Amino acid sequence: MKACLALACVFAATAQADELTLWHAYRGGEEQALEQATKAFTAQTGHTVTLLAVPYDAFSAKLSSAIPHGAGPDVFIFAHERVRQFVRLDMLATSTGKLDPSVYLPAAIDALEVDGQSYGYPLSLKCLALYVNDALVTKAPDTTAEFLAMAPRLSAADRNQFALAYEAGDFYYHAPILLGFQAPLFDAQGKASFDSPGMTHSLQFVRGLQDKGFMPQESSSALVKSLFNDGQAAMVISGPWFAGEIAEGLRYSVHPLPVVSETQEPMHPFLGVEAAFVSARSTKAAAANALAEFLARGEGARLRVTVGRQIPAETAAYERPEVAQDTFIQSFHRAAANARPTPNTLEMARLWEPMKLTLRAVLQGTAAAEDGGAVAARRYRALNREAPPETSPVPWLLALGAAVVGFVLWQSRKKKEKAPDLKKAIVWVAPAAVGVLVLVLIPFVVGLSLSVFHHDAGHYTFVGSANFTDILTSKGYRVTEPLSFWFTLAVTVLWTAVNVFLHVAVGLALALALKSPLLKLRGLFRVLLIVPWAVPNYITALMWKGLFHRQFGAINGLLHLLGVEPVSWFTHFSTSFAANVCTNTWLGFPFMMVVALGALQAIPQDLYEAAEVDGASKWTQFTRITLPLLKPAMLPAVVLGTVWTFNMFNVIYLVSGGDPGGATDILVSEAFRWAFQRNEQYGFAAAYSVLIFVVLLGWSAITKRLGAEKTA
Amino acid sequence: MPAVELKAIRKSFGDNAIVKGVDLAVNAGEFLVMVGPSGCGKTTLLRLVAGLEQADSGDIFFHGNKVNDVPPRDRDVGMVFQSYALYPHLSVRENLAFGVTLRKMPKAEVDQRVAEASRMLELDALLDRKPKALSGGQRQRVAIGRVLVRRPSLFLFDEPLSNLDTALRVQMRGELARLHQQLGVTMIYVTHDQVEAMTLATRVAVFNQGVLQQLGPPLELYHRPANTFVATFLGSPSMNLLPARREGAQLSGDGFTLRAPASLADGGEVQVGLRPEDLRLASSGPLSGTVVALERLGFDGFAFLKTAAGPVTARFENASVQVGDQVKVELLGEQVHVFSRDGAKALCHPEPKA
Repeated sequence: MKACLALACVFAATAQADELTLWHAYRGGEEQALEQATKAFTAQTGHTVTLLAVPYDAFSAKLSSAIPHGAGPDVFIFAHERVRQFVRLDMLATSTGKLDPSVYLPAAIDALEVDGQSYGYPLSLKCLALYVNDALVTKAPDTTAEFLAMAPRLSAADRNQFALAYEAGDFYYHAPILLGFQAPLFDAQGKASFDSPGMTHSLQFVRGLQDKGFMPQESSSALVKSLFNDGQAAMVISGPWFAGEIAEGLRYSVHPLPVVSETQEPMHPFLGVEAAFVSARSTKAAAANALAEFLARGEGARLRVTVGRQIPAETAAYERPEVAQDTFIQSFHRAAANARPTPNTLEMARLWEPMKLTLRAVLQGTAAAEDGGAVAARRYRALNREAPPETSPVPWLLALGAAVVGFVLWQSRKKKEKAPDLKKAIVWVAPAAVGVLVLVLIPFVVGLSLSVFHHDAGHYTFVGSANFTDILTSKGYRVTEPLSFWFTLAVTVLWTAVNVFLHVAVGLALALALKSPLLKLRGLFRVLLIVPWAVPNYITALMWKGLFHRQFGAINGLLHLLGVEPVSWFTHFSTSFAANVCTNTWLGFPFMMVVALGALQAIPQDLYEAAEVDGASKWTQFTRITLPLLKPAMLPAVVLGTVWTFNMFNVIYLVSGGDPGGATDILVSEAFRWAFQRNEQYGFAAAYSVLIFVVLLGWSAITKRLGAEKTA
Repeated sequence: MPAVELKAIRKSFGDNAIVKGVDLAVNAGEFLVMVGPSGCGKTTLLRLVAGLEQADSGDIFFHGNKVNDVPPRDRDVGMVFQSYALYPHLSVRENLAFGVTLRKMPKAEVDQRVAEASRMLELDALLDRKPKALSGGQRQRVAIGRVLVRRPSLFLFDEPLSNLDTALRVQMRGELARLHQQLGVTMIYVTHDQVEAMTLATRVAVFNQGVLQQLGPPLELYHRPANTFVATFLGSPSMNLLPARREGAQLSGDGFTLRAPASLADGGEVQVGLRPEDLRLASSGPLSGTVVALERLGFDGFAFLKTAAGPVTARFENASVQVGDQVKVELLGEQVHVFSRDGAKALCHPEPKA
């Protein structure tokens, strides 16, 4: 009896101590801090916590697929920008109520509020600040006027010496300047607003920095990092993460971004607030809420600051002696005072691409600063297509039903041979059939169905053929504009033709050279020439992207040695296209070379001797013997190469990135952008993919006929 | 003036000396057959004449003009390859016309020449086929036709019949002989088959190990071989060679004694050459031995014997002979060839039988 009682007590105790799961995307120090904090939580409350680190790229998708099905975590850590979307998908618990303004920084509270209700607990802040190399700058500039006054002394563009370096082509980095020039992000109706004097002034300001050589062109994060570490950039605009990339021993300090002298308005960086959210589907809501709040406050906050080097959202954290001494944390605290939470609205998500386009256009000189707003507004209108009118799917379903019935009837009319052993046949065919079904048929049908829907913020409406007619009639922009399907198709065809021609020409020339008996070290060359093929193509693409850099690329370096003006490769269609073609030719010729080499070696030597005696010159031998005999081997290779090149996403996306202004995008990269970079227009993107499929289907029909002619 | 003249030609591939100093003159209108075992350098010599190889030293003249540095296409030669080397992507008609179309000949003449060649070689029905749809003999005829259409002043054949079956080979041999008679063009023909050499040639050049052994009309080579190599290479089965000594009016070796030819100079050690067709199994004769193998060609045939002096091949006309029999061999018509003991030189030849 006593034993039973004891057992019951144990059960009661374990029932109280919950097992919680927490998902996050932290690495390094931040992850350690989180581990220590959860241990402290377990020690205090008895609830155990299981941590799961999810790769950042997959985090959002994993959350929004797991939580609604009850498979997600009890608590997860995410940035505040998605909070509105999470709320709409019913993923967040409402247990937070209203956050106490005396506990957290007001901006952090703002960030987590949706329609008067707070969600989650703010953990840390992320915003941009000014990193200053103390060896080069004695006093950080408080205003843009001060900055402009000291910039000439700190810059020498011919020696790659700059006063400032930051990722100027990224809207996240331009936003503080834009807001400092008092440009509104949204109009009175809450719609994105682009065409404003502030926009023009901010663009003029940035363009001026570049023109005067105060900052480098075409900055990337890697370039900013190396310039600052090499002492070639006196100041850098970046966030707290940048501290981890600074070389050891470099003396630097962090300051708030300067005040814009023209407007007397401080630059306002976007504030990102990371928060611990409680899942709406958590079965241990009370414990989960306790964990989230624990992480945000007190010991949790202390560990995250001291171990994880995070900028806390809790006001009390700054009063702690160890934090008060920490100039880095305090500097970001000061910088965050001017920051404004990134709006968590859908309209905000629609700002990024038009803004990025404008920034690139202005910095690369393809658009004037005054026209920047108009460029962005036009792009915005094109990207944020009005949803087509919803139509009734009934006629479509009827047509589909009729087609299926017709097909079945037609099949059943055909004379059927009875399979001798149907069961056995099914067993044999099943593995391949399942593979084809899962990997080909189902995605194909899903893509096809998706193309007749319009997607807007998680809701799909049936729109019939509207996506197709919009694409094919190029609705919203001229046919000659990069966003038009026909323009992109023309670019894609040109891209494919030029590439395949060069692949075959270079591959064949090298194969002939490798076959030459005069060549020494043939084996070595053969291996070297196949190497481009063996390197993963995205690595090659990134390498070439670097080679084509306007200021630091090796190609302009060579041109400079030859006394040629450096070329800004990605600002003109022709040069940008040429850069893509170079990269893809580098990637593509080894395949053709290998095929050609094999085919060449299969041509008997005595045919050439016979031709030689018959009176054929070397050139005649090549055109009358080599080429015709290569044809059977090369034709399938060319057909394959055509399809690969037609769909060569990596090179386009990584090398030119569609620059200038999407002109060098091909159909697949456009489809990708419509789906993932332009307001999640999945239906529209699916329609694009279906059209790509139709084009390639037509091409394969043509090549099939070519092949048939050959064998006839 | 010879149509083709080779002077002191040498050619090596790496460390391998293939042709070791050959002098040879080919007369205009002649059908010269170069014959020898594999690796004797005959094919290399032909390719040197065609211009497909360059000689290490020595000169080649066509009608007195030095052609060492003339590329093959300007030498006005036609060559039939052992593998035929037909262009697989072209029809028979295009294969035949290939050489002349390259020379920008008017179409009417091209057609006329192709028609003529295909009539001569009975290719009319095959003109639109691709080479892979032809039999071996047909391909061979196309390869010859390709040369015919071009009408070069020199025809070169590189073992053209070696890939054909026996019956076809006999037939093609006849056609080649007829062709030579019809055209009267200079032809150089390489083979390892002594039957082709004997049946086709105006003159035969026998090669061994890169050196010309003997040059002359086929029957002269057969009846008066310059050394034991030529003697054994021509004729089937090979000539029997037995070591012997001259002792007065007699040639005697192990277990046999023959009458020495009167023309033979006095000397010591020699080799006696006896052609199998001049030897018969008989009840009595100068040689005796044991039958180790028989090659029956019907009623008669050849018997392979083991004698005290060495292996001997002899004809028989008696169907009852068995392996293992002890037999005697008689010599018909005193057909005795005598060579120096090292085989390098013929000392005397018999008068050919009538």
